[in-house]
Amino acid sequence: MYRRLLAVVISASFLPLTGISFAADGESLPAEAAHNHRGGEKRIILENGEDAVITLWKPDLTTEPLTLEHGGVTLPKTGMDNYHVILAEKDWGDHKEVVIRYEYRHGPPSKQSPSRLTAQQKTEFEIVPAPIPREHYRYHSQQRWGFVVRFEGQPVGGLEVELQTSNGSHLSVTSDAEGRVEFLIPDDFPGVVKGERDRRLGQFSVSSEYHQGDRRYTTQLSADYRVSPSHWQSTRLGLLIVGFGFIAGSVIGRVKKGGDGK
Amino acid sequence: MNSILNLSLLRKLVQIGAFVFFVYGGLVTGYYLEDKISRSLPALSCAYDHQGADLCTLIPIQHQMDHRLGEAIANGGNLMMGIMPTLITLGTFLLLFVVLNKAFCGWICPLGSFQEILQIIGQKLGLRRHESLSENLVERIRPVKWFILLLLVFAFPLLTGMGMLNHDLGDPFCRICPSRILTTLATGDSSQIYLDTANTTTIVTSLLADFLFGLMIALALTVRQPFCRICPMLAMHAVFRKIGLLRLVKNATPRCDRCGLCAKACPMDIREIHTDMESRNVTFEDCTLCGRCVEFCPDQDVLQLKYTRFPVFSSSPHYFKQRKKQQSQWQKRTLIGWFRKRSAIPGTESS
Ligand code: SF4
Ligand code: SF4
Repeated sequence: MYRRLLAVVISASFLPLTGISFAADGESLPAEAAHNHRGGEKRIILENGEDAVITLWKPDLTTEPLTLEHGGVTLPKTGMDNYHVILAEKDWGDHKEVVIRYEYRHGPPSKQSPSRLTAQQKTEFEIVPAPIPREHYRYHSQQRWGFVVRFEGQPVGGLEVELQTSNGSHLSVTSDAEGRVEFLIPDDFPGVVKGERDRRLGQFSVSSEYHQGDRRYTTQLSADYRVSPSHWQSTRLGLLIVGFGFIAGSVIGRVKKGGDGK
Repeated sequence: MNSILNLSLLRKLVQIGAFVFFVYGGLVTGYYLEDKISRSLPALSCAYDHQGADLCTLIPIQHQMDHRLGEAIANGGNLMMGIMPTLITLGTFLLLFVVLNKAFCGWICPLGSFQEILQIIGQKLGLRRHESLSENLVERIRPVKWFILLLLVFAFPLLTGMGMLNHDLGDPFCRICPSRILTTLATGDSSQIYLDTANTTTIVTSLLADFLFGLMIALALTVRQPFCRICPMLAMHAVFRKIGLLRLVKNATPRCDRCGLCAKACPMDIREIHTDMESRNVTFEDCTLCGRCVEFCPDQDVLQLKYTRFPVFSSSPHYFKQRKKQQSQWQKRTLIGWFRKRSAIPGTESS
């Protein structure tokens, strides 16, 4: 039986704007024939999720309600691959809070581009990855990624947007006229050893707040990120080896005078 | 034939268009894998280039061997389900391949085009180039592509999926493929040139990849299509070449015996085009359907590029004569020659 894969617990202080939050990969219940959770069920921890309306958006834009059980939700097999969205909404009347997470799921081909899911309005106030890492790719530290803040499907400029990581970093920028912000994901995993591969996983959240009349909206996009491979992949040494290859090729490919050259 | 336009020039224009489309076309088709055209292209248009319009068939095959078939075998799962994704990938590959056959190499592949550009640079720099590789060397190189296809594209990923090799051997050909470095560099991304010190496997594969890339660049300046000769895609093509609708056909005559210009013109040094004396489909396993042999055959209709039964381009004495003239003029124009000429003309030195 498959065990809990990751138990990254995120402290409450990590999420100042909202009460509910995702707590990374919970545990995975795999399909019998797979090493990983390919196409199998997957459990995601949702902190303070009581009374939240939780919805699973599939790549073909169909939805399915999810129920909170023992502090988390179990993503069912949906029979299609590619990104899915888990959306949790809590409405307090004068305040609506939303947390959202994009999860790649394995399965039979959905034949749906993730651009459909990102373009779709899923709730009033949302932060959308622009773009989301391509299928089979992930967020890594030291990478620059963009996000768009939208209210009722329209981009919102001039909003303060914050990025916080489970390793304690905190960045803040203001959205431009197209509602776009960009963050360089901090290289903040402690104790990274140069030259050694590091498979640790952290979480970041991108959050913002919007007011319309007396109503307040808070939204938070959460995602995993990993240690930048640049800690164990050296471009400088790589270039040096390309140079050696070039020299070797020049020697091997040299045509001597009087040879078969033209 | 128009005094400038010839098949080689037409091919160069198609190659440039294909290069731009397959390396940068994702800006039009879309960024995500689902937006790519076929995801099973019979040419090395690389999946690591996120701006590309499509990706080569070798990456899904390696992943399917590793994660589908290999894991199905290891876990005693349903083998039919394990092999099904590969059958779909091969089916898509064949749908495209039937249309152009091996011309995906000679006309479309970004890596093939890049090597030809390097060859032109070598020639223009006035480097002494190998006219043809020796028969013996060509014979010794030919099996390499089959080993790479069988071991790096099929066997190692399969064994990785079965848990017999470490996870870093799940996509071994991609790890050494020069197209990965070339196409990402072409989009301004240098992240694919690296020495990866994670473990022995990654050190060896990243070392091989970088060395091979440098080696290929230097060799391509003086040797025609150095990487193509060992490319596993060429081997994949060779398996299915008889079902392609475009083909190279020979109507041999006794005059072929004393000629051999076709083999000299061939960038892949396929001597059999010259020595084969039967009249038939001569799309040999290393052929890229570039059509140079047809251009340089001086005899009427002896060599033809045919689409099914219909000739689309045939050899002719008239074309040959003009093409030869163009070729010798083209070869005479080198940078060294240009500098020499300049310094020989009095009064031009200081201008
Ligand atoms: S690395 Fe080579 S084999 Fe792999 S996807 Fe790119 S072009 Fe294809
Ligand atoms: S043989 Fe050459 S042209 Fe064909 S796929 Fe390989 S690199 Fe490209």
